[in-house]
Amino acid sequence: MAGVVAAPAGQAGLAAAPARGLPADSTPWLLLAPATLALVILFLLPIGYVLLLSVTDPAVSIAHYRRIFSVPLYTRVLFNTFTTALTVTGVCLLLGYPVAYVMARRSDWVSTALLICVAVCFWTGFIVRTYAWLVILGNKGPVVAVYQAFGFGAPPRLLFTTFSSILGMVHILLPYMVLALYSVMKKIDPNLLRASASLGARPAASFRAVYLPLTLPGVVNGSILVFTICLGFFITPILLGTPKDMMISQLINQQIEELLAWGFASAVAVVLLVATSIVLAVYNRFAGLDRLWG
Amino acid sequence: MTRGGKNVLSRRRVLKTGGAMAAGAAMGPLLLTERTIAQTRTIYVNTWGGSWTAAEEAAFFKPFTDATGIRVRTVAPVSYAKLKAQVQSGTYEWDVTGINQSEWLRAEREGFVEPIDWTIVQKDKLFPNAVFANGIAYCALGTNLAYRSDKFPQGGPKSWADFWDVKKFPGTRSMYNNAPRTLIAAALADGVPIDKVYPLDVERAFKKLDQIKPHIKVWWTQGNQSQQLIRDGETDMIVMWNARASELKEQGHPVELVWNGGMVSTTMWGVAKGAPNRKLAWEFIQFAVQPKPQAEFCNRLFYGPTNPKAFEFVKPEVAKQMPTYEPNAKQMVVTDPDWEAANAAQLQERFTQWLAS
Repeated sequence: MAGVVAAPAGQAGLAAAPARGLPADSTPWLLLAPATLALVILFLLPIGYVLLLSVTDPAVSIAHYRRIFSVPLYTRVLFNTFTTALTVTGVCLLLGYPVAYVMARRSDWVSTALLICVAVCFWTGFIVRTYAWLVILGNKGPVVAVYQAFGFGAPPRLLFTTFSSILGMVHILLPYMVLALYSVMKKIDPNLLRASASLGARPAASFRAVYLPLTLPGVVNGSILVFTICLGFFITPILLGTPKDMMISQLINQQIEELLAWGFASAVAVVLLVATSIVLAVYNRFAGLDRLWG
Repeated sequence: MTRGGKNVLSRRRVLKTGGAMAAGAAMGPLLLTERTIAQTRTIYVNTWGGSWTAAEEAAFFKPFTDATGIRVRTVAPVSYAKLKAQVQSGTYEWDVTGINQSEWLRAEREGFVEPIDWTIVQKDKLFPNAVFANGIAYCALGTNLAYRSDKFPQGGPKSWADFWDVKKFPGTRSMYNNAPRTLIAAALADGVPIDKVYPLDVERAFKKLDQIKPHIKVWWTQGNQSQQLIRDGETDMIVMWNARASELKEQGHPVELVWNGGMVSTTMWGVAKGAPNRKLAWEFIQFAVQPKPQAEFCNRLFYGPTNPKAFEFVKPEVAKQMPTYEPNAKQMVVTDPDWEAANAAQLQERFTQWLAS
């Protein structure tokens, strides 16, 4: 019955003949239609176009793909992109989990203060935060000043290293991880922990057996979010890192902006997309992406 | 994230000179309403934003509007890719742009460039070598060696060979992440005379580059990044655009420019193929390359006028900071846009791979 009522809402023009000729279970599909249409037009078509460009611009051939896999630069940078994204995700998880834990478990000013810190971080432009690191780690920055005040001599090179590049990206992506974890942790019933304690579990055991498994959806969600966003980063490694920290989107950008080689840029983008899909598929096989939804 | 990064960076460029930012921001919403009215005669110019647009405003846009009644609206930042996108899609955001000579040549070969309308542009009002690849020479830009004078009290490096000499000139170094410029600097450091650079011996240049690679602290990609590096003392020696270095010097920073072995390239005015306001655009370009407007622009930003008569309106002490000033020009390499256009893609790939390994 609900179907008959809802269907005309999607198709005002057919109101006179409610749902005739339409099976009752078509309603969900009709409701999905606007979203599907938006996805197709805004997402699938452009990606299809990129795929098409990669084999047709400037001529119909797979030469672009051959070049990607024969010139060492592209596979090397692609590999570096994935290892960097993985490192950043791992560090974000290690740093973000305790923060989210404290935020979720306490309900006093500590939780509020942490939430404000994370939110302010989240709302500040990433380019501003990247430049802030240039100052903090720079020659005239506080780190060097402290180092010299204690008479340790010349400070180690902090800026323009892989370390500063990773640091900058972790700083930018940490709020995503914390918020993803927090949203899941907040929903965990504290009584479950009390129950496990009453059954004799020590805090460590109760955390391992009860709390940690319940937070896994947040871990998966946050990790995938950070990992996929990180794959597209390039400004931060350019400004803070070395040429060895180059990310694949920097090469894509160079091909589009400086060389107008859109076909080749598309091919690199397709390879990145496929590689990302493979990583997620493998992940899904072993961990299950359905955990995303709790 | 890619797009976002690009936008924010360009916004930063605008931020660089605080004053001009407000004007730029105010122009955004204006642009839409102006377009819908479309009653008045208006052209749209692609520009860098910041101090660049402020100088254009004073030197070109305002005087041009005063003289002709044609209004000028700006779109920032300069995007080479957008030239292609506009022509391919037939949707135009701007009519006129100012782009590096070798990029302009590649665009012309791919058919993204509107041919010069000789019914509007008057040949007898142009100067020698003004026309190239259906563009008209806008200004000249030097890519030079610059150094912190406070770090070298006994006298700084005077050539690329000195830049390579890490024993005689100890200190941190930074270079421009650009294949053609870096390879030419390497060739000069290896003893190639400035008039024998082309055809460039790429193998020899890469070999010379291997020597300096461990000593380069940063390979910069953005103009304001190069300024930050030398201003904050992150680097003692750097490859830099002449106008960026002069800007720092004007602000009182101890930055010295070396003209010997500098590389001069030309920025071109040009019109996107099929741009809706192309006739007005050619009228504008004709105006902008005349001696007085060119001098007004270069007086503000230290780029070199391409019209020799412009020097009549440039103060001598300012002229000395320009790459087209004769005593400077004769020490510099004139970059070859044909060679660059033919080799850019392949060289950049090899260079990037060299950098990443």
